[in-house]
Amino acid sequence: MLFSQARKRDVVNTATATRVARVDGFVVLPGPARVALLRLGKVSGAGTLLAWEDVRGFGPDAVTVATDAVIRPPRDGLEQRAEDNDLEILGKRVLTERGMELGSITDVDFDPETGAVTTLITKTETLAGQRMIGLGGYAVVVSD
Amino acid sequence: MTTPTPMLLLRASEVTGRPVVTLSGELVAEIKDVVFERSGGRIAGFTLRNPGLFSRSRKDSLPWVGVHGIGRDAVMVADETVLIAANELAPRKQSRDADVLQDRVLTDNGRDLGRVVDVVLHSGTSLDVVGYEIEASEALGTAGRHVFIPLPDTVAVSGENLIVPAAATEFVSEDLAGFGAAVGAFRARLREGAS
Repeated sequence: MLFSQARKRDVVNTATATRVARVDGFVVLPGPARVALLRLGKVSGAGTLLAWEDVRGFGPDAVTVATDAVIRPPRDGLEQRAEDNDLEILGKRVLTERGMELGSITDVDFDPETGAVTTLITKTETLAGQRMIGLGGYAVVVSD
Repeated sequence: MTTPTPMLLLRASEVTGRPVVTLSGELVAEIKDVVFERSGGRIAGFTLRNPGLFSRSRKDSLPWVGVHGIGRDAVMVADETVLIAANELAPRKQSRDADVLQDRVLTDNGRDLGRVVDVVLHSGTSLDVVGYEIEASEALGTAGRHVFIPLPDTVAVSGENLIVPAAATEFVSEDLAGFGAAVGAFRARLREGAS
């Protein structure tokens, strides 16, 4: 499933059958490349992050959670940067470990069952997710 | 099966201003200048400045051994721990004359080929100085023009002269695009000669 398709999806609490948030973005971490957190919008509480482990299902129509309590604020520096959008993968430049730029990320394909990132997509390249070795404020770094 | 990375050549001067980026994707600094080594005619490392328009020089520097990869768009390092104090890279006094630029390139049979105007680097699976861009002397028949001359794996350096094997003159290129093949052919020839 592509990030572009999965964005804006409703987050539904299965206990109360109510919509509790909307998916605004994805926090990807390397080694192996995976969706670690979802960034949420239209939340009622203070928190905007949802860890992948707390997602019950990432379905074609909605993302489900068992309780609202799993939607939480950042817990550490890395999560704070994620919430601040510093680690947003979409639009970030891609550099190889040899210092060649391969354009900017336009979309990402991931497995909605596991959260594994399968493909990084730029305007000109389609890169296997397992090539991703780093993601920082400046760039996504991929192996040669 | 993996496709081998094509030989990427670039001039040392082109590295100036390139971002220094960790493998975790963080911007660390920008390259300020190239520091040449007196012994061996190679590169000791790079001085750094902070990124940005009104950037200031930094007290740390990037030694050659700390470089993970140099490409067209960035200089990659494993992480910030590879940086060392600038005065460790090149003591102030030494750095002033430790520079191959303007040095004369002499063949081992005594021909003056010209003066060094830039150093050509290769970034592939290993980093290497593969040649010099020189302002050619009369000896090359292209006097005054800038040409590229390949280097063997080691170069003898004495004060102001860089000594290269005479065979290097057969592998001179006029452009960087054709130079990669010339370096490969030159080094293959030297290996044949040695065996």
